[in-house]
Amino acid sequence: MRLFKTLMAVAVGAVMTASGAIAETPKNTLVIADAIDDIITLDPAEVSEVGGVLASQQIYQPLVSFDPADPTKITGVLAESWTVSEDGKTFTFKMNPNAKFASGNPVTAADAEYSIRRVILIDSRISFIFAQFGLTKENVEAKVKALDASTLQFEVDQKYAPSFVLYVLSSFTGGIVDSAIVKQHEGKLADGGNDYGNAWLKSENSAGSGPYVLTKWDPKVSILLSRNENYWGTAPGVDRVFLQHMPESATQRLALEKGDIDIANKLGPDDIGAVSANPDVQILEGVSSTMYYFGLNTRNAALSNPKVVEAIKYGVDYQGIADTIGKGTIKVHQTMIPDGFLGGGINYNPYSLDIEKAKALIAESGVATPIKLATVVWNVPPYPDYAQAVQATLSQIGVDLDLQVVDGGPWLDRYRSHDLDIWFGLWGPDYPDPHSNAKAFGNHDATDPDGTKGNLADRFGWDSGKVSELVNQAVQEQDVEKRKALYDEAQRLHTDTSPFVFMFQDSRKVAMRKNVKGVVLGITFSDDRYGAVTKE
Amino acid sequence: MNRPLRLFIDIGSWLITVAITLIGLAALTFFIGRVLPIDPVLSIVGEKATPEVYQKVYLELGLDKPIWQQFIEYLGKLLRGDFGTSFSTSRPVLTDLLNFFPATLELSTIGLIIGVVLGVPMGVASAYWHEKWPDHLLRVVGLVGYSVPVFWLGLVGLFVFYYLLGWVSGPGQLDVFFVGVVDRITGSILIDSAIAGEWEIFFNAISHMILPALLLGYYSLAYISRMTRSVMLDQLSREYVLTARLKGASEFRAVAGHALRNAAIPLVTVIALSYGGLLEGSVLIETIFSWPGIGNYIYSSLFAADMNAVLGGTLLVGVVFILLNMLSDVLYRALDPRSREFAK
Repeated sequence: MRLFKTLMAVAVGAVMTASGAIAETPKNTLVIADAIDDIITLDPAEVSEVGGVLASQQIYQPLVSFDPADPTKITGVLAESWTVSEDGKTFTFKMNPNAKFASGNPVTAADAEYSIRRVILIDSRISFIFAQFGLTKENVEAKVKALDASTLQFEVDQKYAPSFVLYVLSSFTGGIVDSAIVKQHEGKLADGGNDYGNAWLKSENSAGSGPYVLTKWDPKVSILLSRNENYWGTAPGVDRVFLQHMPESATQRLALEKGDIDIANKLGPDDIGAVSANPDVQILEGVSSTMYYFGLNTRNAALSNPKVVEAIKYGVDYQGIADTIGKGTIKVHQTMIPDGFLGGGINYNPYSLDIEKAKALIAESGVATPIKLATVVWNVPPYPDYAQAVQATLSQIGVDLDLQVVDGGPWLDRYRSHDLDIWFGLWGPDYPDPHSNAKAFGNHDATDPDGTKGNLADRFGWDSGKVSELVNQAVQEQDVEKRKALYDEAQRLHTDTSPFVFMFQDSRKVAMRKNVKGVVLGITFSDDRYGAVTKE
Repeated sequence: MNRPLRLFIDIGSWLITVAITLIGLAALTFFIGRVLPIDPVLSIVGEKATPEVYQKVYLELGLDKPIWQQFIEYLGKLLRGDFGTSFSTSRPVLTDLLNFFPATLELSTIGLIIGVVLGVPMGVASAYWHEKWPDHLLRVVGLVGYSVPVFWLGLVGLFVFYYLLGWVSGPGQLDVFFVGVVDRITGSILIDSAIAGEWEIFFNAISHMILPALLLGYYSLAYISRMTRSVMLDQLSREYVLTARLKGASEFRAVAGHALRNAAIPLVTVIALSYGGLLEGSVLIETIFSWPGIGNYIYSSLFAADMNAVLGGTLLVGVVFILLNMLSDVLYRALDPRSREFAK
């Protein structure tokens, strides 16, 4: 009985203490709930997962950046100014003399040289982003070099639109590391080669110039960033940023309403709707460059008929899906370049649900109905919901989707092996330039008819013809306004003729406590900035 | 045969059984991992990597070798205590396991204690008042625990006790203030904070733990009470209970002293297996409560095709079951006089 009494006392004590728990985050810490178990590295030269990019964005800075509200405005960050040679192949950057790293070292052209080179040299999963400029392990030392402490020369293999090169450099891959520090921590690879500090930067250390430094990454649990005491810009209003792994949307919602977290990054549409009624919570709206589409494989005889393709485009209830399933998290968007990118925002949405017109087009095509199509969709919400809604309306026009809801692995496999009729998916650009999308959806490479190098147009068996010419002209156009006009033309033609049915662009809604100010929502999937955050 | 020799043979054959079990488990996990339609290279390099990068990682992982050779090499490393590196955490798998397992151990142990302390008396009461109202009531309670999805109970529990009433703390192991304050010694927050004398953190950890532990406890209680009930029903109908009653033993003595004592023997196995089940980690509970446990670790590693991590985690769970089996064998002998007779 004595034992029992003691146990009771402990239990009651615990409950009493618990009920007195302060449901508020510390004033000096920004607490963000997110799903961070996808992160496998924080090295800017190889990071590409949503959570990893989000963290590394707070730590590293690129040479240049752009204004999401007006993407034609490109501004310097670590570079102060730049010039492009007559032939369009050589970019010369003047470094910003005020910029310095968290270590106190000034940011020099040598750091930029080292950082860009190592993306190529470590053969990372994202090397292709820079390799598309013709950079290879062999030539990178000649092509990317510091002429002196404040001048970086960057050579590309052919004439490109300067905005294209600059947008690519503005991406997270272009984050500049403190070469003096990283060089001290270079290690050896298994094959004896140099790892260029990859092992050191991967999980435990940081060497950037951004507003925060990495304090601790506890994989699949949390990431703690602390204020960079040497930050050369305006110091952030909080001492620490704490990213907590909280994968469940309903849990995030409760924690946010309770005040145990400041920002909930992974709220589903239902929970966003629910928290917006809470007076202590604000919803920040932004655009995301993620797009939802489905591709029609024109190797299928029925789908090679343009009338059938057009009929399918009229057989989708875009607005209905956006309203009832998306609930404000998506907006109808039927062109290949997202709003917020150069060339985006043209608001060209010619299709809406029109069963009669679609039926007439099918009849005109002469293809016998019902047309049965093997369709693959990922088993993660919201994709199956979109696919089922599309299936329901298409069945009314005599197009029957044999919907296969599969796991992520097989889903991507079927897409790469292009042995299906319809593939439901999403597209997030790799870098904030329209070419990332235009190349994938519009470029035709006759030497690679199955699109193994990533041309989705070819993967779906489509010779994009004029669209291909336009996008390849655009990526070389030196004048930003002319480039924009070319994308305008290419997109309209693409939407009218391609076998891709673009449906939606993500509209981001991020819920946070009212007292949090200064969060800047980014445009690529994990580009949010916490550098200017204050908590009142 | 003399006794030391016999003991030696016993231990030897036991060790061989354990080794075969573990190798079998490793083999099964290994081969299942290889036939899964997830490409481990792709999950490391991403789908847009160049063929050169893909090939480099493919060779690094040794996937060009025949599958049996890969397995032998893996076993060889295992014998040297090398579980390999998890690519998703860039840490040795052993470090990861030591990091994630204590959180599960702590939660499961408390859950099991709740399950046993409440479940056994419930089962006994159910059997004693067989087909009367306490039995019906307790069976409904047990049935709810056993059949209602645990994620639903978890969310409702959070909503009521955390959000509405504020009696317990929310998801995670600790409030943000306290994260990283206490040095990691055992990995168990309760023990570490007690060692450091940080009682505020200790109680904060309890208030975070109480709800998930109760849910796990409820879940195991449901199973334990049902098993207790059926074992007790059997024992109570035996003649020795009648004899005890005829001899004038009190009801309490007849039930608790005689019947329960005999029922305890099979119950040990039931409890050990429930404990094993809890120690695998409950993915749903861990997800809802953002609990950094082993269940989520294995689960997310599996989806990332991080096979070293999956293998390491599976082996750990295997070892846990073997140890629990051993423990229940020992308890068996302690509780059952007959098995002691045989041992002689």
